Amino acid sequence: MKKVCIVLAMLLACHTLKAQTDTSSADAIMSSLSADDKHEDVIATFKATRLIFTQTTETVKKHNLNFLVTHRFGDIAGSEGGGSTLYGLDNSSDIFIGFEYGLTDNLDLQFGRSKFEQLIEAGFKYAVLHQKADDSMPFSLALAGKAGLKPYSVNTDVFDDYTNRLNYMAQAIIARKFSSSFSLLISPTFVRNNLPFPFINGNEKDYIALSAAARYKFTKRLGIVVDYAHPFSSFRNNSTNPKFYDPLGVGLEVETGGHVFTLNFSNAKAISEMNYLSDTESSWGKGQYRIGFTISRMFDLGPKNKNKKQSNY
Amino acid sequence: MKHLLILFALTSGLLAQQAPSALYVSKNASVTLYSEAPMENIEGSSTDGKSVYNAATGELAFNVAIRSFKFQKSLMQEHFNENYMESDKYPQASFKGTINEKPDVKVNGSYPVTATGVLDVHGVKQQRTIKGKLNVNNGKITITSEFMVKCADHKIEIPKLVFQKIAETLKITVTANYTAYNKNPTN
Repeated sequence: MKKVCIVLAMLLACHTLKAQTDTSSADAIMSSLSADDKHEDVIATFKATRLIFTQTTETVKKHNLNFLVTHRFGDIAGSEGGGSTLYGLDNSSDIFIGFEYGLTDNLDLQFGRSKFEQLIEAGFKYAVLHQKADDSMPFSLALAGKAGLKPYSVNTDVFDDYTNRLNYMAQAIIARKFSSSFSLLISPTFVRNNLPFPFINGNEKDYIALSAAARYKFTKRLGIVVDYAHPFSSFRNNSTNPKFYDPLGVGLEVETGGHVFTLNFSNAKAISEMNYLSDTESSWGKGQYRIGFTISRMFDLGPKNKNKKQSNY
Repeated sequence: MKHLLILFALTSGLLAQQAPSALYVSKNASVTLYSEAPMENIEGSSTDGKSVYNAATGELAFNVAIRSFKFQKSLMQEHFNENYMESDKYPQASFKGTINEKPDVKVNGSYPVTATGVLDVHGVKQQRTIKGKLNVNNGKITITSEFMVKCADHKIEIPKLVFQKIAETLKITVTANYTAYNKNPTN
């Protein structure tokens, strides 16, 4: 009985095939031709090259120029906040103006200047690995490096020569786009301040930090971002005066076609990694959190084609 | 078991017999999209369209991978995939239908044709009749067509909060060169 069933099924299959004649084989050809290429790179893990604090795995593409303006206002609450400073809006903890230019699709150069410690920095970011749609590469990896100079003596009088004013940071950024709405990154960072910063007895010149950040999009152009960093520094963990806190930020990311706008709240006052990882002394618990924003504007400086292609038709 | 084997043989024989004779295949059809917008024109193109045409029945199938569209501006390309076409969810755009006129592909010439069928863009299927031209030149077929796609028809959202305004209708131009399908491909 079983055998008969199989035979019948086969005959049936045979007849269906016959009934469909050419169509089924046309479909077969079609599907063999247009099999999805799942090996392609996952794009747009993040919308911008930076979240609140940390860099993302996105680099500025070839011949594009990204112009960044980042701002951190004063404390919303606590002793410096409140109505008399319009909840911190009267003060600016840090202002960062930066440029990022894409040399290739995977390598960009960065330049920026912070109000905080008057830090001038130059660096690069290189996208080494790209996450693949078929998970043959499950994550993206980018490497970033920066050198910073504090040209003016700010809090200390010990900037006796320029080598003391130099700071460095090296970072590996590992990110995965879990779905079209959710992306996560972690980045181990090495920071070196040639003169310990802040300049306090016992502070370390070198330390390692770990950042974690995530983006959740609830519409195509609007998302929540969370950004957190922890420096593994025994001095910072044990110091009581001043006391150090881990930078933590939450924000809203809006993309408006060409612009990416981030509105955020964070305890960290500084914008550059070398500053906020080294010296975040403000605490969410004490009302020392602030409004901040980042405006990122992408310009395409590549060669223009004057729509000549259209004349083909 | 014997019977089964015989049937197997018969079945495969049948399948081999109905290998199509009137099938034409295009492996790198060009598809361009164009729209004029106040700030900058949107222009993208793909040369990765796949199509099968059955000259006997007039059946036409066409597929193009959304990711294969290239744009002058990399950011435009990203937005096209990420914000408008959602290519991770809807990786392909396709047309499946019939060419109504079924011109004789043994006679050289240029035939105006219309294709009726389903246009699937952004996962939304629309019944369409699309005008085009079918050229026959010594057994080689070229189909060209130019038609409009309304973003709203395919639920492609154009947000209000976009500084660069985007046109609501895109002009699609298709050029596909077909060759007779080889019944015994080497694989």
